[in-house]
Amino acid sequence: MVFVTCKDTVTGRACCVVLCTTEEQNLVKELVGLSTRDRIRAIRGLSMSFKEKKHIRLVLSHYVSLIIKQYNTNNQVLIQWSCFKLFSQSFRRCGYSIKSARQTLKLWQSIMKEIGGRFGTSVLSYFVFLKWLLMFNIFSFLVNFGFITIPLLVYDPSPNIPPNVSFTGLEMLTGAGYFTYTIMYYGGYSNETLVGLVKYDMKLAYFFTIAVYMVLCGIALIFSMASSFKKNYVLADPTSNSAWQLLSSWDFSITNERAVRQRKNNLRVQIQESLSDKAQRQLLTLSEKLKHLGVYLGFWLLSTSLVVGCGVSIYYLYAANWSLLQEAETLLVPFVVSLMNLVVPLLYSLFNKFEHYSSHRRQIYALVVRNILLKMSILAVLCYYWMNVVAKKFSCWESVVGQALYRLVIVDFLFLMLGSFFGEFLSNVIGTRLIPRLGVPEFDVARNVLELIYAQSLAWIGIYFSPLLPAIQILKLFILFYLKKVSLTQNCQPPRRTARAAQMQTIFIALLFFPFFVGSLSIVAYTAWRLTPSEQCGPFRGLNSTFSVVGVWMDDLHEIPGSQWVIWIYENIIKSEIFYFLMTLIIIDTYIAIENKPFMNCG
Amino acid sequence: MGNKQTIFTAQHKYLKLFPRLFYRYRDLAPQLVPLDYTNQPDVKLPYELIGSMPELKDNPFRQRIAEVFSEDGEGNMTLDDFLDMFSVLSEMAPRDLKAYYAFKIYDFNNDDFICKSDLEKTLNKLTRNELTEDEVRMVCEKVIDEADLDNDGRLSLEDFQHMIVRAPDFLSTFHIRI
Repeated sequence: MVFVTCKDTVTGRACCVVLCTTEEQNLVKELVGLSTRDRIRAIRGLSMSFKEKKHIRLVLSHYVSLIIKQYNTNNQVLIQWSCFKLFSQSFRRCGYSIKSARQTLKLWQSIMKEIGGRFGTSVLSYFVFLKWLLMFNIFSFLVNFGFITIPLLVYDPSPNIPPNVSFTGLEMLTGAGYFTYTIMYYGGYSNETLVGLVKYDMKLAYFFTIAVYMVLCGIALIFSMASSFKKNYVLADPTSNSAWQLLSSWDFSITNERAVRQRKNNLRVQIQESLSDKAQRQLLTLSEKLKHLGVYLGFWLLSTSLVVGCGVSIYYLYAANWSLLQEAETLLVPFVVSLMNLVVPLLYSLFNKFEHYSSHRRQIYALVVRNILLKMSILAVLCYYWMNVVAKKFSCWESVVGQALYRLVIVDFLFLMLGSFFGEFLSNVIGTRLIPRLGVPEFDVARNVLELIYAQSLAWIGIYFSPLLPAIQILKLFILFYLKKVSLTQNCQPPRRTARAAQMQTIFIALLFFPFFVGSLSIVAYTAWRLTPSEQCGPFRGLNSTFSVVGVWMDDLHEIPGSQWVIWIYENIIKSEIFYFLMTLIIIDTYIAIENKPFMNCG
Repeated sequence: MGNKQTIFTAQHKYLKLFPRLFYRYRDLAPQLVPLDYTNQPDVKLPYELIGSMPELKDNPFRQRIAEVFSEDGEGNMTLDDFLDMFSVLSEMAPRDLKAYYAFKIYDFNNDDFICKSDLEKTLNKLTRNELTEDEVRMVCEKVIDEADLDNDGRLSLEDFQHMIVRAPDFLSTFHIRI
């Protein structure tokens, strides 16, 4: 027998562990063959000390959990492994009190617990997603501020503003005027090599900071998606629902008495519905099926034409409006964009009520796909206009685009607040006083998450043109959290259908990554690759394209001895197309490998 | 085995809550639970105290949870049982471990099978006894039809796990935040 002692720093308790002897191993092997009741009785009857009995019991539970995992054999090696695990677990218990420093970084822990307790896991997933996006933006702001803005501020603290421009309050909303000449936008950054403690090349700093940030974002998203898929790898609907409903749908994290009562009610109603469905299942006739299909296609056509109409009208509005550059009027386009983003999804929800779906899930997917199409087309039209018209028309066009994005972000925030008012407060008033049949509204997780994703993609596109935009986004997300929390608790009821929270989380991340992040990345990449930077302002003035900064740096590096490897990497890897092809293959491979890894549990 | 002293480095993150959990345990009965555990006192908190915790008091399965994790099988928990309980119910515990304990929770008569009477008790706890007897019987029969793979009229651990595999939400619903 081996005794190991260690001391727990919090409780002062000494952890004292005994590793197994052969007799103990044989005993475990015998006990595992009994049923739980017999096992409890047998252990009670053993003539061992209390501590030893406890030890046997713990070894048994580890061993059983190992058996059920992957191995179905009653194996000597496994028993020894269980003993070892027990040892390591106690050891870790002692050491882990130090690791609890992570607890202090838990922002909003108690609020999320309250929300999860009252509304369940699916509504909580929205708030978890919001917090996750906030972390992205905090990281982005720190990186940009630290590497791009601070060196400039240290070197040249006062912005060079022309004498006739002064600060009026309107800048907070439009981003133009006084702000145009500050470090808020691309135009405020110099292209020099700052000489201070070290020689700091602003051009390279700007380029690499943004490039590295985007790459890190992409990697973080890929890994989140992979781990999310791994946990929830079954995406298909199980063929029948009742066993699942009964045994695995109860949300253990609900702690509010009223919420529990409501859940029980909902479950009872769902069970009764599914029982009665079975009793009278009608087969739809062919004509009814055709009618449903016709209605469905009709509404799809209507939604697509709405999207096209929105896109075209924004383009012409922008084209017509650009001549009026007075400050207040520049707010017109963002206003129209946000109005469309508010109204059209409501129309889609209305369409949804007339359509007939075979399952609730398909209904949500159709709604989500339509909303994504709308938002992506709007972003595509705006970017097209910026890249093709604005880039050729203005002398400091990056700042102009940055201002347009700033306005979009601010107006989007105002409309999100309005949307909260209409979506939740008014629905509550209507549902309780005016039309009681509708009842108290539920929190629409899908619509709210899409709004968050849209806001985040605006921030991602804007990083290149306005490095401090993440600061605005941080403020926006912070305020939005509290706003949504208050709106939720005052106006909404817990969801009636037990939605599939885990799969929704996976889908949200996948949606964030594929259409929106890749789109934003492509736009920034296109800007860096193809468009000519403006001549008079910004860190890349005078160059043919932003990317040529790297070429210039490579030329400079030729003179410095010992940097041949950097030049070699550049010439043979970055410049060659094979590299990107290989990278894509590697990413796809890693992704598939993570997904297919056998489920290695620590138990 | 013998003198193995190598350090096991896998990530059992669900044990990181240990200090907080100790103080929660102690807060339930400060006069019974000492701050100093060096002499390994044999302290057991009665079920009534455990069941009155805000995280558990409204849970329809709180009694079964306490029974499953307690040493004596009656709901009176030592600190170790308490820690085990919240570790398994935390978000980091692996799916198989959770499935194992969920199975034990639903197995009211401790015979290692979820039989029809266990299902009926589960259903009644989840619907406040508001379903008629016929409905209860129909639902239980449906569940056994769907999930029973070896056709013995009751769910074994394998059947249960097979069903859990097709319900990815299980990890997030079988979770108590503390």
